[in-house]
Amino acid sequence: MSVETDARGADAASAPALSAASPATTAPASRWLAEALAVFAKDWRVELRSRHALHTLLLFAVTTLITVSVALGPLGVSSSERLAVLPALLWVILLFAAAAGLPRAFVHEEETHTATALRLAATPSAVFAGKVLYSASLLFAVEALLVPLYVAVMQLPVASLGDLLLALGAGGLGLALASTLLAAIAAQAQGRAALFPILAFPILLPLLLLAIELTRGAVGGAVGDGVVANLVLYDATMAVAGLMLFPLVWNP
Amino acid sequence: MNERPGDPAQPDELLELRGLVRGFGRVPVLAGVSAELRAGEVLLVTGKNGSGKSTLLRCLAGLLRPQAGTIRLREAGVELDAAARRRRVGYVAPDLSLYEPLTAAENLAFFCRLRGIAPARGDELLARLGVPESRAAGALSSGMRQRLRWAWALLHRPRLLLLDEPFQNLDAAGEAGLRALLDEHLAAGGMAVVATPSALALPRVAATLALDAPAALLGAA
Repeated sequence: MSVETDARGADAASAPALSAASPATTAPASRWLAEALAVFAKDWRVELRSRHALHTLLLFAVTTLITVSVALGPLGVSSSERLAVLPALLWVILLFAAAAGLPRAFVHEEETHTATALRLAATPSAVFAGKVLYSASLLFAVEALLVPLYVAVMQLPVASLGDLLLALGAGGLGLALASTLLAAIAAQAQGRAALFPILAFPILLPLLLLAIELTRGAVGGAVGDGVVANLVLYDATMAVAGLMLFPLVWNP
Repeated sequence: MNERPGDPAQPDELLELRGLVRGFGRVPVLAGVSAELRAGEVLLVTGKNGSGKSTLLRCLAGLLRPQAGTIRLREAGVELDAAARRRRVGYVAPDLSLYEPLTAAENLAFFCRLRGIAPARGDELLARLGVPESRAAGALSSGMRQRLRWAWALLHRPRLLLLDEPFQNLDAAGEAGLRALLDEHLAAGGMAVVATPSALALPRVAATLALDAPAALLGAA
């Protein structure tokens, strides 16, 4: 390679049309939050126009629910086993629905080449937060549709609605946090489709066990010691880990 | 800290590359690229397909990490690190797309929100470039998409423009409009690095960097 020097332009006038270097290089809390909310709103707007993730999640959730209800039905599980089996089945349905839709969060950005624009314009941790908010709200929407159906179809008694909502909220948030981080990692790899479930298994296992335990407590009326605290701790750990690791994954 | 005050003896606007090296696997693409650019100047990067023009621009944008060498960018007397550089440059490239389900105006409004800019700036650029603001980005012709890329790149009034095949797919009017924007950018003291596989007549070209395609990549002896 070679460098030829031509006539060097002499006009180095002041730059009224160009902005100073300082804005947006550091993000104070309000700017960071505005960026995260912008990513969240953009993802929902894109989703409502294309409906890829929403359709995938709902289709998977409803299909699995129908399969389970036809195979087991309210009478297919004895009352003694119901409390043990049905909460676990609910979370298996939610896990598979999430696994079908949420990993697309970053793969779609990479495949459609929009990730480059996002990388150049946004604070990485704000992108992560916006994507988590979007994934969590998507999951909550699916839970809001699916869980009442599941409770009705499977005749699942709910002793404590508060604990059930806590399980769905904290469990759904944990699922969204972990899925978003794993999706970002998987999107950078060549074997994207295979990588997500491999990474997800060890990371989601403790979350699912805790969410099942709390749901079981909500149904049976007695929540075990430390379950709620551990679930909240899991979410907090994933949030901190995500905010710290995501910039390393997102940027070269 | 993303920025540090520069040496007062240095020019306020400066892009300096020293010994940039980047390869993919065992294939070397950039092997010690050096160049310098100051306010109001264009660095023209030429070379065949696969010679590393886009790789160089991606390194400059902070989208690829060079394996060796340094990139220094000073803006308004402030030296920017890689993270700050990433958010400051204006980047136009074939591998950059905006959100297809969103309209052109919605796309720019989103990026205005990310950058903390009033949305009117996006509307102003769309009007200037003749991009239909209410049409979905996915429904735009390839020429209009190229104009939209330019509008996106100019939103935050960057001092350094990185332009990879900047006039591709454009009709004569579109190219003339974008050339006028580039002229204004340079006249205002901006810098531009322009990559092109074929000859391109541009004003204020301070240097031409001719990249030789690595033999391994071209299959040549």
